[in-house]
Formats: sequence, C-alpha cells, structure tokens
Amino acid sequence: MAAQAHAIDYDPERNYDEDTLAQQREIEKEIAESQPLISSLFTFDDIVEEYTREDEVYRHKIENLKTRYANLRKTRGDGNCFFRAFGFGYLETLLSNPTDYQRFLEICEKSKDELIALGFPQFTLEDFYDTFIDIVKQVKNPGQLEKLLETFNDQGLSDYFVVYLRLLVSGFLQKNEDDYIPFIDGERTVKQFCSQEVEPMGKESDHIHAVALTKALRVPICVEYMDREGQTCNSFMFDPTESPEESSPKPALTLLYRPGHYDILYPL
Amino acid sequence: MAATRRLQKELGDLKSPNSVLKKSFRDICVDESNILLWHGLIVPENPPYNKGAFKIEITFPAEYPFKPPKVIFKTKIYHPNIDEKGQVCLPIINAENWKPATKTDQVVSSLIALINDPEPEHPLRADLAEEYTKDRKKFMKNAEEHTKKFSEKRPAD
Repeated sequence: MAAQAHAIDYDPERNYDEDTLAQQREIEKEIAESQPLISSLFTFDDIVEEYTREDEVYRHKIENLKTRYANLRKTRGDGNCFFRAFGFGYLETLLSNPTDYQRFLEICEKSKDELIALGFPQFTLEDFYDTFIDIVKQVKNPGQLEKLLETFNDQGLSDYFVVYLRLLVSGFLQKNEDDYIPFIDGERTVKQFCSQEVEPMGKESDHIHAVALTKALRVPICVEYMDREGQTCNSFMFDPTESPEESSPKPALTLLYRPGHYDILYPL
Repeated sequence: MAATRRLQKELGDLKSPNSVLKKSFRDICVDESNILLWHGLIVPENPPYNKGAFKIEITFPAEYPFKPPKVIFKTKIYHPNIDEKGQVCLPIINAENWKPATKTDQVVSSLIALINDPEPEHPLRADLAEEYTKDRKKFMKNAEEHTKKFSEKRPAD
C-alpha cells in the first residue's frame, strides 16, 4: 500500500477526490472485515433477528421461507452480490452434476471468442477468461466444496470471476441489442448502458442483468423477493428457455432478494 | 496476486517492439520490487509539446484491475488539463467509470491524445484554458517556451 500513501502525499488538502476515495475505502474496509464474500451455511433462525431489525414484516416472510428452504449463505453487500451469489451458487450445484458441468463448460469455452468478436479487448478478456475457466474447472471433481468456498472468498480470484460474468452480460445485451433497448432508461444506447451499469465493478444488478446472465449461460434460476409488501415472498423464475409456465424447468439455484441485495437459498 | 500477474503481462506488451505506442510512450521503467509503480516518457507529436518529452508516473492500486491506476506528470507542462502538481483529469480512469477490462495502453493512449489536443472545456488550469481559447498564438508561444525550458530531451530516434 506504499503506492497509495505516496499518491496521497502529493496533495494533502486540495484534492477533494482523494478525500472521497479515502472515505469510500474506509467504508469498503469496514464491510470487508465484517462480511465474507460468501458465508458458510446459516439457518433461518441464525439470521431472523438481524433481518427483522430492518422491518418486522421479515419475520413472517422468513417463516414462509422456512417451509420451502433449509439454509442460506450470505454474500457481501458490495454491489457485486448478484454475480457472486450466482457464480458460487451455480458452481456449487455443478459439484454433484457432471452432465450439467459439461454443458456449462462448453458454453463458457465458446463465450471467449464470441466476446472478442463483439469487440472486447482481447488481452484483458483473455486474462479474465483464463481465471474464470480455471475456477469453473475446479468443480469437475466432486468434494471440492471447501476449495470453492476458499476461491470465492479470495478477493482477487472472486472478482475476476465476477468481471467475466459482467462481460458475458454486456456481450449478451449488445448482441441482442434490439430486444433490450426498450428496457433501458435514459437516452442511452445498449453499449453505453453496458459500459455504465454492467461492466464497472460494484454496479448493482437489476432485472435486466439477471435476464441476460441466465440467458447467456442458459441457467434457469429462481429469485425469492423478500420486500416489505405482503406476508409471503414472491418467487420469480428466470427461465432462459422461455417455456410456458406449467413446463418451466426446475431452477438450478435460488437466490433470496431483499431490496438491494442477493443471498443464496438452499431448498429443503 | 491478480494485479501482479496482469501487470507483468501488460508491461511485456507495452515494452514489445510491436506496441502501437512504441514511439510515443517509451523508457518504461518499473522497479522489480514494486510492479505497482511505473515510470515512462511521453513523447507528443503535436506542437507545442513536440519540442520536448514528459516524464509520467503511473501508480496502480493493490486492487488493480478492480480499481483504476493514477497518472501523475513528473515533468512540468504548460497544459490546460494538467495542474501544477502534475495531476491530470482523465475520464477513462475516473473511479466511477473505471472498467477492469481497460488496459494500461488504452489509458496511456487517452493521455497522449489529451496532451496533443487539449480540452479547454474541462480544464484543471482555468487560466491556461482561457488563454488557449482566446489567444491561441500567445498560448502556443508560452507553451513552446515552457516546453523548451522545462521538458525532457526527446529520444534521438
């Protein structure tokens, strides 16, 4: 961190950007020390008081979740939680699903050239891809759960994985620009949206990110929405095959959404 | 760890004879003990800065490439977008917009473009921006004198 100190020495009082950055860094550090990137398994009883502190309505909703889910893992609230929760949660399921692993690996391997063809700089794309695919390959052998958890809690590796998922979403939206332009707010092109809201780290994910990621990788996921309305959680299926509702596939994983945040749920 | 591996690759590319920046960004020098601190020499093409060359320092955070690098001029330069402390405002490395997929050579290219063609609409030195906009002749004369007096020698080739 010597480099950082050096840069700050340059202009102690005049550069307000530095102050803001330093403050931001402090907040990030605090969050990093109190929350792992991906936690170990919790039961709902472990977290009910913490969630209820925000709003009493969550107590009912957690009771409702307990009828369908056994556990959850918490993710760090750093703006990347959707991608990280998806990444870890899905790879975890692949540990015991070699058929799906093979299918997923093939999609991932094909994605690199597709993204380069879309104009992403080859050098950095390959750099992210190499780490990403190494992590995917970790789950080829069953029984690697501890190692996977360690990998996803290694900030460098974990963030490399998140970046590649962000690039996949950006690539998918740009490739299907005509389908997604109506959903983009403000006078922005799809490319501008991706460069402002998808590719930078820490930008939170919306519905459109989730749609694009599940379609790009053809992984159906379910999201349980736990907001302050009503007494139960509303579940929403992101189904990349767009099959009619009655025949929609079983979700590969389920995420729990509370306003601004995603955690991973484990069915009973 | 992520930072080191990527920076070594980026450095290799920039130092290679195939680098598109080989004429305009040279003498890249990195201390073996600290890959996060780079020095280099900017050799601009356009007058009035083509009378000299300018040393810069690039500092990468430990979280690189998830956080952007910082660029500081070590040689004094008479330029609307670079202040007396050598600080420069480059949108590509603005913390808010930084994308981890951005490569250092893109950052340096964008810096060279800014040196060659000042942007008086977003100045760090309002006085120079005003001179640049209102009295280009005077600006060119001042900047050329300043360049001759303070800048580094341009490489012979």
